Amino acid sequence: MRYDSITEAIGNTPLVRIDPAVHGLRNIDLYAKLELLNPFGSVKDRAAWNMARPHLAAAAEEGGQVVELSSGNTAKALAVLAGMHGMTFKSVTNRMRIPEIKDLLLLLGAQIEELPGQSECLDPTATDDPLTLFHRTLSEPGSAYLHTDQYFNPRNTEAHFTGTGPEIVKDLDGRAPDWFIACVGTAGSSTGVARALREHDPAVRVAGLVAAKSDFIPGIRTIDEAHEVGLFDPGTYDTIEAVGADEAIEGMLTLNRRCGILAGPTGGAAYFGAVRQLRAVDAELTERQSAVFIVCDRVESYLSYVRQRRPDLFGRPRRRNSPADLSPAEIRTAPAIGVADARAWIATGAPLVVDLRSPHAYAALHIDGSVNIVDELFEELLHGGLPFSRSRPVLLACPVGEKSARHAALLTRMGHPDVRSLTGGIIAWRDAGAPLVRD
Amino acid sequence: MGGQPLYLAPRLESRLRSLLGSPDLLHTLTDALGSPLHVVVPDQLADNLQQFRSVYGIHHLSGQVFYAHKANRSSALLRRLAATDAGVDVASLGELQHALGAGFTPDRITATGPKNPEFLWLAARTSVTVSLDTRGELEQLATLVRKHALPRTRVLLRLSGFEASGVRVLSRRSRFGTDVRESDPLLESVERYGDVLDLVGVAYHLDTTSLAEKATALEGCLRVLEECRSRGLRPRAVDIGGGFGVNYLADGGQWERYTTGLTQAVLGTRPPLTYGGHGYGLRNEAGTLRGTLGLYPAHRPVAGARYLDELLAHPAASLGGSPLAALLLDHLYDLHTEPGRALLDQCGLTVTKVLEVRDHGTGGPLLVRLAAKADDVALEDHGVLMDPVVVPRDGDGSGVPRDGDEARTAAEPVGVHLFGSLCLESDLITRRTVFLPRRPAPGDLLAFANTAGYCMDFHATRAQHQPAARKVAAWQEGDTWRWCLDDQYWPTTPVGGAQ
Repeated sequence: MRYDSITEAIGNTPLVRIDPAVHGLRNIDLYAKLELLNPFGSVKDRAAWNMARPHLAAAAEEGGQVVELSSGNTAKALAVLAGMHGMTFKSVTNRMRIPEIKDLLLLLGAQIEELPGQSECLDPTATDDPLTLFHRTLSEPGSAYLHTDQYFNPRNTEAHFTGTGPEIVKDLDGRAPDWFIACVGTAGSSTGVARALREHDPAVRVAGLVAAKSDFIPGIRTIDEAHEVGLFDPGTYDTIEAVGADEAIEGMLTLNRRCGILAGPTGGAAYFGAVRQLRAVDAELTERQSAVFIVCDRVESYLSYVRQRRPDLFGRPRRRNSPADLSPAEIRTAPAIGVADARAWIATGAPLVVDLRSPHAYAALHIDGSVNIVDELFEELLHGGLPFSRSRPVLLACPVGEKSARHAALLTRMGHPDVRSLTGGIIAWRDAGAPLVRD
Repeated sequence: MGGQPLYLAPRLESRLRSLLGSPDLLHTLTDALGSPLHVVVPDQLADNLQQFRSVYGIHHLSGQVFYAHKANRSSALLRRLAATDAGVDVASLGELQHALGAGFTPDRITATGPKNPEFLWLAARTSVTVSLDTRGELEQLATLVRKHALPRTRVLLRLSGFEASGVRVLSRRSRFGTDVRESDPLLESVERYGDVLDLVGVAYHLDTTSLAEKATALEGCLRVLEECRSRGLRPRAVDIGGGFGVNYLADGGQWERYTTGLTQAVLGTRPPLTYGGHGYGLRNEAGTLRGTLGLYPAHRPVAGARYLDELLAHPAASLGGSPLAALLLDHLYDLHTEPGRALLDQCGLTVTKVLEVRDHGTGGPLLVRLAAKADDVALEDHGVLMDPVVVPRDGDGSGVPRDGDEARTAAEPVGVHLFGSLCLESDLITRRTVFLPRRPAPGDLLAFANTAGYCMDFHATRAQHQPAARKVAAWQEGDTWRWCLDDQYWPTTPVGGAQ
């Protein structure tokens, strides 16, 4: 397939049937609309392109900047589109909680402005919230901003009304599905698709999914937050249910591991919510029905999000010579030496002094003649074996003598005959009035 | 009333729970000393200090916890704290005098905030540490120390305007502190006045609940401290201010149901939950919710010492990703903190007497008038929404009945609007429709828990010749509560105290 511009590759995504052995529904065919296969990686490519397209040429001529309140996929798509048209993009957000997405946006040349956290000493009379101020700067005379306004722009919904929705009907041989399940973020995709499907068949039932209130799932709003969205109309949905972050990740893992669909947590939430919704219906059915959910984006950007909530998924094999293997007794009895004795020992010139603190801290102040090997690096070295000759005595120093004790215990276990930890660390050294130098 | 009552039950730890379970004491106190009445619990403050100390211990950090005196004028609390090893942060001449008089030695006092010449003089004269906001203030202090031949004064430099690399954080501007980009001329002044000023470190205080913003500021401080060292100065500490927060509510579910209910009320899909349909900053524009909820996040699972713990464990993005505590340790810096509200968590309550309970006729919320002004119970001024606890005049608080009709209606939950005693339309204790488990009667007490941090005397006035609340200190001896007037309390007062 040949294109003149990457933007032509937006849309026409596959509709893939989920294996019934995975979801366990007997009477319902469940399909995933793979929006993750859009060129910039998400369902938002459609809305971003549809919102920006009519204004890009004019804005580029004025030397304008594309601006959006987005913490993720819309920002990503707009950053690319702006760059393709010789413009810059700025995202203003208080929801940027995924470090990989933030880094990717910076890599794409986006500027990111983060709104401040809530005031601790609250002034209830202060009515100028940061968003109001943001809108004020947008409408200042002479400003050349192209604000796509995804939460209020009808062209967001339209992209799905004319694109995503009809594609689903076409791929189901001209029939609308009986069920449509979607997560509510800007409400653009759920509203647009629902409208298109209902135009085809008013009996389509639409389930909206929101994040549980105390939870955070990227790309999904809580029910209260959904009310802040101009495109959100509760009447669109036959039901609105909440999904938790753990459930979203569970759903995501099923899609990733069993279906070969590398969906992110938003798609996982949609899958989980869909199966939960349909399971009750399925038992009562006598004829076959179909259901569609949207897989919004890909898993790769959410590794830190998943790691934080499910560290068990990232279990690594144990490595030899690891301080984690030490028993408390070994650490307690690790060879150690107090500041006064250490000074005398160093004066003999015998020990190699290893400072385990960070290079910044070492550069600021350290024991004269010491070597800096930061503790993570030291730990890494030990996995490979003893990094010192057994004939060379070693004094290990860290801030308070805790890490140095662990490493001294480990080196002893590895067979070093004369390694000691500086008791109380560099802080005790300083407090004893012993000299620290800068080089 | 529109469905189930939306309670916001206060979080009560053992001391406040026990006090509220002593209705006879609370009625005796208000009968004798009037309503409103503040009760402070000094021993709780010492316990809270221990929680902060243990977080220091977990991270192997040394340094001082400075109680932000401005959060409460109480002498009892201050004197109880003087009996521990904590410090105090004073923000006025009067607070400095109070702290010195309560027994704090100058090495345990830091002077912060806007300062007049008298405040600066007394601070320098007594050798307390002075946190300086600007270069002008630094020069003013240095000149004063030279002119009056005062001892060399320990100073902290308060900084602001920190920026993270890559992302611009639109932090609220602070009127305090020197912009970190102007730290060079500030350090030059420190060097120039080296004979009279001794730089002990740098400070910041950000008015935000965001961990990331505070982490950015701490990283910025470390960079300035490094600059200090390269100039040959010997700074020893970073003061990260306060703002650790308090968890006011017992039940996160109640908070979530209430805020969702408020959203619906503002959108008009349920009856109002406030007096006059007030939206606490939210408004309805053509069916879409606009504005920002101007409320304190009253249910905050991570608050106080736990918040400090999370902050210290937060990775420093631009300095290799180590936790901030490890960075402080590595660089051998002491950590100073200035908790106010968080240190006063569960340290007191405010008792008010019900004067009048009036039916509105239309079946709406009852009008309940209290013998207190809104500024005596300043929770609303801080955006804190929390239910008062009803302490009945007769009975033991279990709701055990009175006679006849009153008993039957009294057992039902009611919605009420709480009015103060000023002759002023807006004197509402809270604009929220408060749900109480039973109808209160004149003579009952409504007790507002956890008011010690900023909500007792910070805003109180004597408008209309109405009294400001009196304050008593209470402590437990065995199973019995003892009390004295706040000003009569010294660490020797309770039996078993230092004698």
